[in-house]
Amino acid sequence: MKEIAALAVMAFAGSFVEVAFAQGFQPTRPIEVVVHTGPGGGSDLLARAVALMVEKEKLLPVRMQVVNKTGGGAAVAAAYLAEKKGDPNTIGFFTGVWLTSPLTSAEARVSLKDLTPVVRLVLEPAVIAVKTDAPYKTLADFVAAARQHPGQLKQSGGSITSRDNVVRQLLQKHTGARWAFISFPGGGERMAALLGGHVNMMVIEPAEAGEHIRAGNIRVLAQVSDRRLSGFPDVPTLKEAGFDVPAVPQVRGVVAPPGIPKENVAYWEDVFLKLTRSNSWRKFLDDNQFEDGYQNAAELARFYDEFTDRMREILKDAGIKTVR
Amino acid sequence: MQGFAVALQPANLLWCLVGVVLGTVVGIMPGLGPPATIAMLLPLTFLMNPAGAMIMLAGIYYGAKYGGSTTSILLNVPGESASVVTCLDGYQMARQGRAGAALGIAAIASFIAGTVGVLGLMLVAPPLAKVALSFSSPEYFALMALGLAMVVLLAGRSMVKALLAMLAGLWIAGIGTDLFSTTSRFTFGRMELLSGVDFVVVAIGVFAIAEVLANMEAREETRLLPVPKGLRNLLPTVQDLKDCRFAFANGSVVGFLIGVLPGAGSTIASFISYGLEKAVSRRRERFGTGVVEGVAAPEGANNSETGGALVPLLTLGIPGSGTTAVLLAALVLWGFKPGPLFIPENPALFWGLVASMYIGNVMLLILNLPLVPAFAQVLRAPAFVLYPVILGISIVGVYSASGSLFDVALLAAFGLLGYVMRKLDYPAAPLILGLVLGGAMERALRQSLMMSEGSLSILVARPISAVMLSLALLILLIPLFTKVNAWRLRALDS
Repeated sequence: MKEIAALAVMAFAGSFVEVAFAQGFQPTRPIEVVVHTGPGGGSDLLARAVALMVEKEKLLPVRMQVVNKTGGGAAVAAAYLAEKKGDPNTIGFFTGVWLTSPLTSAEARVSLKDLTPVVRLVLEPAVIAVKTDAPYKTLADFVAAARQHPGQLKQSGGSITSRDNVVRQLLQKHTGARWAFISFPGGGERMAALLGGHVNMMVIEPAEAGEHIRAGNIRVLAQVSDRRLSGFPDVPTLKEAGFDVPAVPQVRGVVAPPGIPKENVAYWEDVFLKLTRSNSWRKFLDDNQFEDGYQNAAELARFYDEFTDRMREILKDAGIKTVR
Repeated sequence: MQGFAVALQPANLLWCLVGVVLGTVVGIMPGLGPPATIAMLLPLTFLMNPAGAMIMLAGIYYGAKYGGSTTSILLNVPGESASVVTCLDGYQMARQGRAGAALGIAAIASFIAGTVGVLGLMLVAPPLAKVALSFSSPEYFALMALGLAMVVLLAGRSMVKALLAMLAGLWIAGIGTDLFSTTSRFTFGRMELLSGVDFVVVAIGVFAIAEVLANMEAREETRLLPVPKGLRNLLPTVQDLKDCRFAFANGSVVGFLIGVLPGAGSTIASFISYGLEKAVSRRRERFGTGVVEGVAAPEGANNSETGGALVPLLTLGIPGSGTTAVLLAALVLWGFKPGPLFIPENPALFWGLVASMYIGNVMLLILNLPLVPAFAQVLRAPAFVLYPVILGISIVGVYSASGSLFDVALLAAFGLLGYVMRKLDYPAAPLILGLVLGGAMERALRQSLMMSEGSLSILVARPISAVMLSLALLILLIPLFTKVNAWRLRALDS
């Protein structure tokens, strides 16, 4: 039954693709944009912001509709895209989780590599923050304290495959210090744990940190970025602070279902390239303190491999079992 | 006053009305929840001024809490997760021909508690947000334990059966990807189970579907009592209102306080408020058979919870639930910077929102009370119409929430489970309670143990958590006291 359905879908999609091919690709229906977070999550926000900017800059003849397919890291969203094989009117917004969840979960069978790469859009740097009344003035202070009391200092963050924990693993490996990582499912709870003094440190998005710094609630020790962000001119990067570890950004970009012709990919590359050159985009990056991470499809495919290899090693160091 | 100047502008009044009407509709329909609705409307809000947009989106948020009780009471189909508890007594009232009274009480309780919630938001938001920050994982664990202790109050005749049902609920809560190790648990290799079992699917299954199944076997016409004629019989009586005095206060306060905590939520608020109401009630044994307080307390709690949930959002930029996360997103997209300085820097927006919530609650009351008689007429439909409609609403609701046929199959499975449980006299409420609290409770416990490096003493060493755990213990002992008391009385008699 499933096979028949799949064949039918493919045949249907095939006919679609042919039509598209003949005319040079143009989307014909509203674009379905698949994200793996619920409304209000990081990917959801980016997708909705992009949809608004695309509309404002008149880059597409149709509208973009965000569809939330949550669950299993990104497994549900990735599988949904895989089922849409050949559909020219569907795209997805991915993050690093789309590459890491297949590494740790046997059920997450669809990886980014099974989908069609389109573009990489943004790199989200982060900052390392502590409460204002904490004794640590620099990251070195924090690491020294962690070394003195192994395992007693705490960091709040997302899941263990999240960027927060990757930064911790890298710092721990580099310095030999150890501290605990406490997972909270929601960003709000993570921040509340830091502000309430229940944990000592947090890796946090620059825009979110900015407001709490202005209010005098938190202090930033270092930034997880290769160069200083415009909003934090006085805060050292990890390297400048004396920690020679890679500044792992959160990556976000666009993929399409499998079986999409080159032409369509080229069309999307063009749309998103135009977007990244628009004024709305520059303002968006600046407001959020994101970095422009534009890469075309070919570069993105190479990036997958680097990223996956690095993550596999980091997970291994963290004692997390990988299944692939 | 400045707030009312903003909220009373004709355009903003209109947006407020649009918001609460939309909210009521969204609340009535199972499946489509406020987060999805608000997210869908986001693009439109860019054509509006931010105050109007915020007023409208908030209207959807608290308006949905009004609507949520409607299908719970009439059809035993919870329209929203926060209205699950309302099924327990609300649907029983409807079966006794008192649907109008139940719907009316729900609207009145929602109004009172909703207004108290706004009052709290207005008066104590910043200091209360600071207090909420002293809550962390150990306190959340204690709060969930307190909620779980309510099981002894939800038990029917057999405590063992209630505990077994609760354990099943806790187990279902464990299905899915473990947050800490990203290991899959009880997923049987099914990708659909990676995100766990949606609590609304289980609730609709064991309440609504099981109800339909149970009624199918009745040979004679089902025992729905006729809806009385005349408007007077469709509204709550003065006695009902008197019975609910404490429930109104309880719902308002419990809902607001739990709402302020970013890690709790309205479902937990409604359960705890129901439990508290039952614990202090003089007619405790009649809960679950259709008492008005059993509707007023949870419906009040889930409404004042919205006022509470806006506290951490607006004073700290910390969202505690799906809906507040979308509201936060909306603020960011409009160019605001939600955080500790949001209120001082945008007083007109904040006070306008607060004032609009007073107005919106009045609108909702005026809107909902006349709907009561109309909705109550639904129950005049003969069984062969009503039950297929319940089935249809349940299935469409579940499917529209997730778009997954797997969830519809799960719904059928849980419907069957609910039916079997009913036949064997296992209460459904403890199962739901375990499921609601299980995930958060496990997470809080494991987070606590990570904080304390594995020492359980962290749970009792912190005062707030120690007090709540003692309360939980006390509640667990209630049935024992009752038993001892009964035994003593009997001994005295003889």
